[in-house]
Amino acid sequence: MSSDDELAERLRDGDETALRTAYDRHGSAVLYLAQRLLGNRADAEDVTQLTFVAAWTGRDSFDPQRGSLLGWLLGIARRKAVDRLRWAAREQRTAQVVQAQQPPPPDPEQTPERTVDRLVVADELSRLPAEQRRTLELAFFDDLTHPQIAAVTGLPLGTVKSHIRRGMANLRRRWEVDGATFGSRSAGPTRAL
Amino acid sequence: MQHLDPDRLVLLALSEELEELNEADHLTQCDVCRHEMQALRHVAELGSAGQELRDLPPPPEHVWQAIEAGIARSAEPALPAAAPVVDLEAARARSRRSRPRWLTPVLAAAAAAVLAVAGVIAVDRLTGRAPAEQVTARATLEPLKTVPPNAGGDVQVLSDGQLRIDVRNLPLTTGFHEVWLLDPDNPGKMVAIGNLSDKTEALLPVPPGTDLNRFRLVDVSDEPHDGDATHSGLSLLRGTLTS
Repeated sequence: MSSDDELAERLRDGDETALRTAYDRHGSAVLYLAQRLLGNRADAEDVTQLTFVAAWTGRDSFDPQRGSLLGWLLGIARRKAVDRLRWAAREQRTAQVVQAQQPPPPDPEQTPERTVDRLVVADELSRLPAEQRRTLELAFFDDLTHPQIAAVTGLPLGTVKSHIRRGMANLRRRWEVDGATFGSRSAGPTRAL
Repeated sequence: MQHLDPDRLVLLALSEELEELNEADHLTQCDVCRHEMQALRHVAELGSAGQELRDLPPPPEHVWQAIEAGIARSAEPALPAAAPVVDLEAARARSRRSRPRWLTPVLAAAAAAVLAVAGVIAVDRLTGRAPAEQVTARATLEPLKTVPPNAGGDVQVLSDGQLRIDVRNLPLTTGFHEVWLLDPDNPGKMVAIGNLSDKTEALLPVPPGTDLNRFRLVDVSDEPHDGDATHSGLSLLRGTLTS
């Protein structure tokens, strides 16, 4: 699997297949975020399209040193979705029609920031070395304790602990770099497209 | 101060074990460890909430097609470069072949005469005396990159101010096809001429006073039923009017 650095280079060189690779890898996450933000499938598909077209036209601004490709794409998608919501709100006011347009869910569990964070953490989890990933998945999704994970996987308890600790450190680092809620990240201007 | 062991912090963050009394004390006093544990706890919680994200379905293929179309448009910042250049010689050769030989000089004369008045179609209209079916300008419409290559069309501007358009093999649309006259020197400046019904041929009125020397680029676009009267940006065919 080519790295973000390699993709960034190919994108800068104007290689359209690199965009397709990025889309194959992250299109579903972008669509998921858009759908969460907009609550509407057709708009979410539009925003997904706008996001990748903007990623293409703004490809020179992607810097793998400052964050991952996914984080960058999700940042663009959020801005496009917000534009869409504002536009819809303006249209609504202009038309003076009360429509059953779903407002973004007020549930704090569903804020855009949290959705972005979940997506980047899930992406990092999927990139961990296989054993690290497996132990963390058993802890997260199956709620197993470390001894139970050791029993299930046949790994020594000490190995399980070190996988979990390293895996957690990786997830955390990624969240700090790419997450939307983590301090410096949401400051925005430096990452603005 | 002795900080908590990193392995131990992970265990506590995953709520696998409860804090001992001395650990709880330390966490209330030590910003570093507390911050560390909060971060780990938050990440663990985000990770646990990510189960449904593991196998997200890919977007449908038409999204990628729309991306490709968008990129093709973005690669064409200026309209003149954007429009597939109509090969004048070829277009003329084609139209010559398609017409009886004797008609060519007549049309050439008519076209020459009309070129001068292309900008003042309204005059012809007001007098109402212009012979019908006199073609003042024509264009061959070529498909844009994202459109099947067998799509195309022909346009004739008649001396009575009507535009006759004939299209073939346009991609299906859930919206409608709109005909525009664009100013290739001023991207964004355009005149909406009308829409094509399901028929492949239509006769549309050009607004009186339209300067066809300026708005000389004929464009057929795919418009969604979104109530937005502006160009969707999704052009299908283009061709430049020549006399």
